[in-house]
Amino acid sequence: MRLDLTILVPHLGFLAEGALLTLEACVLALAGSVALGMLVAVARTSASKWANRLAFVYVDLFRNIPFIVQLFFFYYGLPEIGIYIDAFATGVVALSIAGGAYASDAIRAGILAIDNGILEAAEVSGLSRRVTFTHIVLPIALRTSVRPLGSVLINMILTSSVLSTITLNELTGNARIVASDTFRPFEVYVVLLVVYAALTYLVSLGITLLHRRLNRDLQGQVS
Amino acid sequence: MLKVENVKKAFGPATVLDGVDLTVNPGEVVSILGSSGSGKSTLIRCINGLEKLDAGRITVDDFDVSRPKELAEARKRSGTVFQLFNLYPHLTALHNITLAPIEVLKRSRAEAEAEGRALLASVGMGDRADAYPAQLSGGQRQRVGICRALAMKPRYLLLDEVTSALDPEMTAEVLAILARLAASGTTMVFVTHEIEFARQISHRIVFLEKGVLLVDLPTKQFFSADGGLAQPRVAQFLSKMRKD
Amino acid sequence: MRFAEFTPFDLVLLAQGLGVTIGLFLVTSLIGLLVGVLWGVVRFYRVPILMQLVTFVSEILKNSPVLVQLFLVFFGFPAFFHLNVTPVQAAIVTLSANTAAFVYVIAVSSIESIGRDQIEAARVFGLSRWQVLRLVIAPQAAAFSIGPLTALLVNQLQVTSLISVIGVMDLAKIGATLNLRTLKPFVVWTAVGILYYLTAKLVATLGARLERRLRAHSAFRCL
Repeated sequence: MRLDLTILVPHLGFLAEGALLTLEACVLALAGSVALGMLVAVARTSASKWANRLAFVYVDLFRNIPFIVQLFFFYYGLPEIGIYIDAFATGVVALSIAGGAYASDAIRAGILAIDNGILEAAEVSGLSRRVTFTHIVLPIALRTSVRPLGSVLINMILTSSVLSTITLNELTGNARIVASDTFRPFEVYVVLLVVYAALTYLVSLGITLLHRRLNRDLQGQVS
Repeated sequence: MLKVENVKKAFGPATVLDGVDLTVNPGEVVSILGSSGSGKSTLIRCINGLEKLDAGRITVDDFDVSRPKELAEARKRSGTVFQLFNLYPHLTALHNITLAPIEVLKRSRAEAEAEGRALLASVGMGDRADAYPAQLSGGQRQRVGICRALAMKPRYLLLDEVTSALDPEMTAEVLAILARLAASGTTMVFVTHEIEFARQISHRIVFLEKGVLLVDLPTKQFFSADGGLAQPRVAQFLSKMRKD
Repeated sequence: MRFAEFTPFDLVLLAQGLGVTIGLFLVTSLIGLLVGVLWGVVRFYRVPILMQLVTFVSEILKNSPVLVQLFLVFFGFPAFFHLNVTPVQAAIVTLSANTAAFVYVIAVSSIESIGRDQIEAARVFGLSRWQVLRLVIAPQAAAFSIGPLTALLVNQLQVTSLISVIGVMDLAKIGATLNLRTLKPFVVWTAVGILYYLTAKLVATLGARLERRLRAHSAFRCL
């Protein structure tokens, strides 16, 4: 019963490959989540009752159904309707859709927080709704929601471990392989816990920096 | 010509404008005075189409602001400067100014930026073009606000209490710019509390009281004993404002 | 099973799976609640070493994937400590600890929200630290934390689905079994998703009702 971490040394490269795949999947899924989140946030702040309702149902459903169920729905379901994509693509799609439900809340809050006077200034200067949205509303909303979107990313990194259940060899997937090859599951998973915690810590540090940088020019905006 | 005809506007049970008539000719500077709550700002917001009229008609060079198809044309002809600046916080001073010329007037970026820089230089802010609103003082922000409105080359400049949020020093720097604009023949509709300043630059002064336009006189007559001051409400208002 | 089609017995299977899910959810929530509050008390009393340990453990548990925690307990503990760990035991240990980590955070923040001055005021009247905790803090903290706790429990309900990966016959595992047998992923995962969704809504509704009742009792405090 001795904790011997040196047995992991030969496997570090393999684990790093997994970590890289985890990060790739999460970065792509974050982009997908934010894109989807923007659409849904727009729908939820729009005047159209239908768009509103639909967006609400999406957010409500995907926040109240376990991710693993969503993942299996796509992984086993998509081939049924003739869509053949690999485990990585399926994972990114599922993470994006699940993350989009959370991202939309963050972005929606950012949109609702925008000072009405700014929108009036845009309106009277003749900017179209589309331009107002793309050049004013979205950039401001995205800046103010950096932190909540960062939480979405951190959750996504943790959730991505579930992708190992659809044979994707990301960090957790590779760790499972190492655990069964070395017969040292305890060491492997203890290290894995710490690695994930360190990873999310680094990400949250990065988010704090980004938030500070992006909002430098927004601070002190008192009238 | 900017024409306001029998305009009525109420917010719920509160009547804010109760049959206002006003005509502003090109080249004129018209100041709107009145105590707070008299409907001055609402009148400006009706002219630029931010509020819907309950009754009456407003035309800017014959474009009716109540008709959705004509509103865009009417808005191209007027520019608004706001009390609380309402600058876009995520854009630099220069980009605050160039956004509408590029997106609405379809000017090239280079051209719009050259004009924007020239405008900023003309208000003494040539060196702050790349600053963000939060990095500017209130007076500087309002100068950017004026440039943003002017960049659209409006025929009518609508100024909604543009110095109320500023301290006296900053007020002076903004008023100096407005005086220059007035002298150069810019048409202005100027809602203000700065009575002395209004007296110096305006051709005409109108006085609003509880949504009714009580007085509409050339500046000189407005301040004469047998003109505007003959109205007890005006005399009362002026003496109160001067005391403050 | 050789029959590819759905049979009425599948409904019984689903109900059993749901029962296992809800049962484990209730048990682990209760344990997690008790342990988390206990950790909060440790922090309130500023017990040296123990307090740092608790904070560290809760940080690791919050910032690492539950799936990896499960693997550590289910695969790692037997190998390292030479224990016998059944899937259900691993599930109970892991989910309880994970819930406790989040309950701890809620407990600490709700104690802090009550404010140091209130605590000091009570101490001035000669109440012991335990009396302050029991008479002043606990009732207020309970009312304050029902909202966050409800959100946490809705989330933890979904987290339970991960225990299917180590073989616990919960709702998600039944879904996987039916999916393999019938090869009708859309039907199976939609049904499983709906059951999770309804259960989550039930938890949220009960939480909201409890919160209303508690708030009604403590309305006079909302000055």
